[in-house]
Parts: sequence; C-alpha cells; structure tokens
Amino acid sequence: MSTPQYDVVIVGAGVSGNLIAKELGLAGKKVLILEAGLAVPDSREEYMENFYLALAKTPESPYPALAGRQGSKFNPVGELPDPASLPTPRATVLSLGKSPNISYLVQQEPFTELHPNDPNPQNPPADKGGNVRGLQFSSTFERNGGGTSWHWLGTSLRELENDIRMKTRYQHAEDWPVTYGELQELWALAEKEIGVAASTAQQEPLEVVGLVYPPGYQYPMQAIPMSMVDQAVSSAVAGLEVPGMLNEAGDGPAPGTQMYDVFVSATPQGRNSEPYDDRRVCAGNTNCIPICPIQAKWDPTVTLGKALDTDRVTVSYQSVAYNVEVNGKNATRVDYYEWSRDPNGNLTKVSKSVSGKIYVLACHAIENAKLLLLSNNWKGIANSSDQVGRNLMDHPLYLTWALAPQPIFGYRGPLATSGIESLRDGEFRKDRASFRMEIGNEGWNFSKGDPYTTTMDFIQGTNNANVNPPPGGSGQPVRLGGLNLVQQLNNIFTRQFRIGCMFDQSPLAENRVALDVDQATGKPNNVDGLGLPRPKVEYGLDPYTMEGFRMAAYVCSKVYERMGATEFTVNGVGGTGDFTYKGKNYHYYGAGHVVGTHRMGDNSKTSVVDASQRSHDVQNLWIVGSGSFPTVCTANPTLTLMALAFKSARSIIAALY
Amino acid sequence: MSAALTGFQSSVLKPALDPVGLALEYYTFAVAQVGEPAMTSLLNAYRAIKTQPAQQIADTLLETSASSPSSQAQLAQSVVAMWYLGSWYVPGVVGGGGFAPPPLQVISAAAYTNGLVWRVMQSHPMGYSPFTFGYWSQAPAPLSSFGVNSGNGGGQ
Repeated sequence: MSTPQYDVVIVGAGVSGNLIAKELGLAGKKVLILEAGLAVPDSREEYMENFYLALAKTPESPYPALAGRQGSKFNPVGELPDPASLPTPRATVLSLGKSPNISYLVQQEPFTELHPNDPNPQNPPADKGGNVRGLQFSSTFERNGGGTSWHWLGTSLRELENDIRMKTRYQHAEDWPVTYGELQELWALAEKEIGVAASTAQQEPLEVVGLVYPPGYQYPMQAIPMSMVDQAVSSAVAGLEVPGMLNEAGDGPAPGTQMYDVFVSATPQGRNSEPYDDRRVCAGNTNCIPICPIQAKWDPTVTLGKALDTDRVTVSYQSVAYNVEVNGKNATRVDYYEWSRDPNGNLTKVSKSVSGKIYVLACHAIENAKLLLLSNNWKGIANSSDQVGRNLMDHPLYLTWALAPQPIFGYRGPLATSGIESLRDGEFRKDRASFRMEIGNEGWNFSKGDPYTTTMDFIQGTNNANVNPPPGGSGQPVRLGGLNLVQQLNNIFTRQFRIGCMFDQSPLAENRVALDVDQATGKPNNVDGLGLPRPKVEYGLDPYTMEGFRMAAYVCSKVYERMGATEFTVNGVGGTGDFTYKGKNYHYYGAGHVVGTHRMGDNSKTSVVDASQRSHDVQNLWIVGSGSFPTVCTANPTLTLMALAFKSARSIIAALY
Repeated sequence: MSAALTGFQSSVLKPALDPVGLALEYYTFAVAQVGEPAMTSLLNAYRAIKTQPAQQIADTLLETSASSPSSQAQLAQSVVAMWYLGSWYVPGVVGGGGFAPPPLQVISAAAYTNGLVWRVMQSHPMGYSPFTFGYWSQAPAPLSSFGVNSGNGGGQ
C-alpha cells in the first residue's frame, strides 16, 4: 500500500472541519480540506452586494450556489435554478416545499403545492399513535467555503445538564455519551475560539434549570447589552408563572402540574462586544442572518484563516466527495469530483482521489449522511447500526408576533440578544418537548417579510400584514402617502416584535435522510449536476413534540397579555410546515439546526460514532458535526458542535501518534 | 413631487451635493419602466397643484380617497415604494397570501441602503448600520431628526 498523501483528509470547510484542521495544523499534521463549494471570497463585499440586490433577503441570499447573483446569466430574476443543473445544490428557503426540479431535498410536497387551486387546504392527518407524517423538513444549509455558519445567528448557549441525560432523568429520548463536566471544559475552548460575549453573573438565575459554570469561569468578553425589546419583555413578565403541562382545553394548568417562573436572560453571543481576534465590535447591523457586514460575528472563515496560517493545511475548493473507500475496518481513500464551469456555463468534472491516514467527514448533518450512503457503490459504509441518516432533527421553530402597546424600537441591534431560557427544563420533559424562547430584534421581518409587506399594504391599500386598517381602526384598508404614511408606518414598525420557540424534538428513526434511488432498479430518481443521487428526506412530528408547541403558544399568549401587546400570529393550513394538533393549527419554520443523522453513543448497535465522533465501524474515520448529537437539546447547536470538534481533534492527534 | 409623496424633506431625497444621485437614478429607472408620457403626465399633474400643502398634494396624486386608484395614481404608488424600499414594484401589482408583491428589481445597492423606510422606523437599513455598539439598548433619536418633512411646503 502506498504512503498516504496526507495525515488527515477532511471533507467540508465549515465549523467542525475548520476547527479540526486548525488544531491538527497547530500539532504539525499535514491536512487537506475538500470543500464542495466555491472559495471564501477575498472580500465579503461581494456577498454584501448579492444581499443588497436580492429580491428576497432569505438566509441563502448572499451566497452563491454557482447560480450567481439574481439577474445574472446563471440565475435569471424570478427563476429558481434546477438542482440537477448545479454542482453543489443546497436546500434553500425559496425552494422549500417545491418539487424536485426546484428543491434539492426530495421530500413530500405540501397540500397547497400539490393542489394549488383547492379552496379547502388540508393538513396531513395524524396516525393511530398521534404522529403526523409527511411533513417538510424546513431547515436549509449552504455548500461553500465557510459553510452554513456564515449565517448562524451567533447564539452561543450551553446545553443544560438534563439536556444530555434525557433518558436517565426523564425516560425519554437518549443520553449523550459524554459527561457534563467534560462538556464544560470543551465549551470553554469553543467560547474562546468564537469569542463569546456573556457574563456568568448574568446567567446565574438559570441555576433553576441546571445551568452551572465551573467556579471562577469568565467568558472572554463582556456581555452584549439587552435591546429595548428585551427590556420591555423582561419587565412585563416579572412574576409570571406558567404550568408545566396544560389541561385538555389548553386554557390552564393540568391538574397537579408544577408551575415555572418565566424570566428573560441575556443571551451569550458569538459577536464582539470589544475588539477580539482582529475583528471589529458589533455595530448592530440587525443582519446576523443572512450576513454580518463587518464580521463582528465569528464565522467559520475566521478559524479557517487560522488553520491556513499554520502552513500545514491546504483547501481544495470545488471538490465534491462522493465515495469513501473502505477496506475491512479502514478507510483508504476519498474519491471526489473537481468541478468547474467554463465561460459558457457548461459544467465539467474530473474524478480524483486522495488518501490520508485518517478521514474526517465534516460536511453537514445531511451531506455527511449522504456521503456515507453514497460510498461503497451506494451501499453505504459505517452503517452496521442502520442509524446513518436516521433520527433527523431540527429545532422546529414556532413563531409568534405582536404589536406592543408603545414603541419598543425593533429593527435595531443584533437580531436576537435575549431569550426566555427558564422553561428549558422541568418534570414536564417526561411528557412534552421542552423549548427555549428567542426574542427577536427585527420586528416582523422574519414573521411577515417586513418592512416590505406593511409598507406596501399602506401604499396600495392591501392588508397582507393584518394591520391595515390600523389597530383600532375599522372598515377598509387605507392608502396613505406623505407624512400620513410616515406616521402610520412609524406607529406600526416601532411596536413590532416576535418570539421564536425552539423545541427539543424527539429523535425518531423514521425521520431520515436516504438516497433518492429507486429501490427496484437501483437507478437514481433525482441527481445533482454531477450525477450524484440527491438526499431524500422523510419527516414528521410525534405527540411529545407537538404538545410542546401547544404549551409554547400558551406561554407566548401569556407574555403578550402581560405586556398589553396584541398578538398577530397566523398559522396557515396545508402549506410547508403546517400541522394540526388537538384541533389547533400550527406552523413551524426550520432553525437550521440539523441534528442526529450519525448519532453518537457507546453502543455500536444503536449509534454511528463514539463520544469522540469516531466511527464504530471504520477505525480511521471520524464523522463530525451536529449530526452526531443524539438529541437536539435546548441550546442552539453551534457552540456544542464546536466543543465536540475540539474533542475529536484531540482524539485524532492521539491516534496519529 | 417625491418630497410631497414620501413625506420627506427634498434635501434628503436630493441633497445639493449629492454623492449618491438616487433622484436621477430613480427618475431614469421609472421612465424606462413606464415610458416618458406616463411620467410626464404624473409630473404635470403635480405641477398643477405644487403650491398646495404637501399632504394635500400626496393625497391628490395618490388618490387616497378614491375607491380605487387610477393608473396614474398607481404609478405614484410605485414612486413612493421606490423611495421607501429601493425596489421597483410594477404599478398596480398588489401582494397577496400575506405578503407584499414581489418587486421587479432592487434598483441598486445604494437604493437598498438609502431606503426611506428605515428612517421611518428610526433605525438603519438591515445590514448597513451607521450606529455604534450598544445603541440598541437606548431609545433612538426622535422621528423628526430622520429627515421627515414636518413643514407644509410642496417641495420639488
């Protein structure tokens, strides 16, 4: 056997891949990163220009999928590209719920897409066990240098102790194979790498849900100030208690249930409150998603730069891995397509191979699963447990929005600076999903596409945002101009805010990523521009998770009531992310927190990787990222997935000696 | 005319020293979309009433009291939307299903970052903050300091 070309070959230049590359480079190891997408641009101005000119400011809007800017040759205005024409198609907000000639992920289309002219849209029915199947997985991701976390929010919460021992503590879901003490040590490393702004003293009240820090621990930077919106919610909810479980009617506590305090906490955030790592201080651009214009928010390109500075790390862009060759218990090479476009837009690909002593798959929870399943002539590798691609989770996000009784001045500051974290743990976790509540600083931008929707409503006399006629008014929608328009819009926009609730959804084996291959013929149904089968996704919600939604809707209504705010939440029927539970309609968005597809555990029969994210089956293969999480927990995942990457880097370095 | 329609001072829309040049860019863009005659006719309608109070001019040109706006008033709406949102909305095309109509085009990056709607909310364009760290924990300056036309003149 020839000598491997590299110590380590990493697939994917995102959070985990870049961090592991940096740690290995610092240890003197020779590393190659294969990145499917385009290189990190020399200047983010290029991406800013894409953002400014995008018709819809969706999370993906600044980032090229080789499609280029809207209006360019490869991406005509108003048209979404066919994933079969792209070398690195990805799931996008604009393609959610569409057919496979628009949506990269192949999945059940919603009723309104299948029956656009039906006047009576329906939500999927629940099965005998109360599960709703045939729903849409609504999270999206990027495939480019730096990965999806170009547009992470920056929220850097730690998990709670009970988050990682759900099975032991609440007889639900799974335990993690790591201890809380070990995570605390790893989180500190990740917080330093990212530069997390927070104060442990400020977090102290969260002891009630089991959030504790090692004695004397301090975050790298002072906390980010709470927004005016945060302050308004915080003072209004003082003294508010909510039940752990609701009664059947949903209007009050279930008999005998415990009550829990509601309070607002400043969020630990991966954005600079002071100059850090040669990056600027946050200027409150209110644009963390889709893109921070000044890189005050950490993103994976920061760590990639440090990895390259070690002079031991090389990146090969436009290199899509499609096979990990395994011989016995050893991976021996990665096969990949190096792709390019000629000036006429024609796609060409060259098949190449590269070898290393160790291989690390770090290309996103869905892409990791896809690559594992594609390997070995689409028969799969590292999958003796049959868990690859299964237990797909997100933080399904329930969004509610309201008008405060007085101006609270949203659309200012980072997108979110506080949340209600006090309901993340309790005895109720035996019976329903826990959740955190994120307070938004961007008015109804997420909720209603504002300022566009409300502005056009008052210019054109329509009522798409449900505030025309204005609250208190009656009759037909009004059309305004001049100072009347200024004053009316000011009155609405300065009072808008929203709360997003994110659930610790159950891991379900039937929620899964598979290859979109015809089982009978073995031929792919839908392919990408390189001819590779696309991910086929099946998704649904169980009653445990949906009961969490019911409680979240109740808690939001109580918060708004306390504030004297008027709620405007609309839950559609029959569309992407719409479902019905106990007679009430709900809608969820994707949080981008894609989890579970190669879960870790001590038992090789029920998990794909061990606590170091090393494959149980292939001894020199690490499969890393949030796909390793056994459960999605109650914190946004980036901090913890980086913490786990530190652990993996250590185990890889140890294995190389 | 744009000052009256938008409720902003003409010095905001078209400063004496104008490094961005949005007024000309918008005029050129709109004429290319709807043709010279339609724009001339709207401007003539404005000239006939330009000495009236600004709000009255806006209400007349936008036909805010009419049960449905004429095509000329719909063009005036698109002019307002262009100044507010930096995008061109095809006259008469309204939103539906809970959302605004899709714009034909964001006119330019400068059009986005100079949208008046951000001033209306006493803030800054998302992705283009002129403010400094921590400003969000305090109330903003009053609306009157964001270039709103509180006077009654017809502007230009």
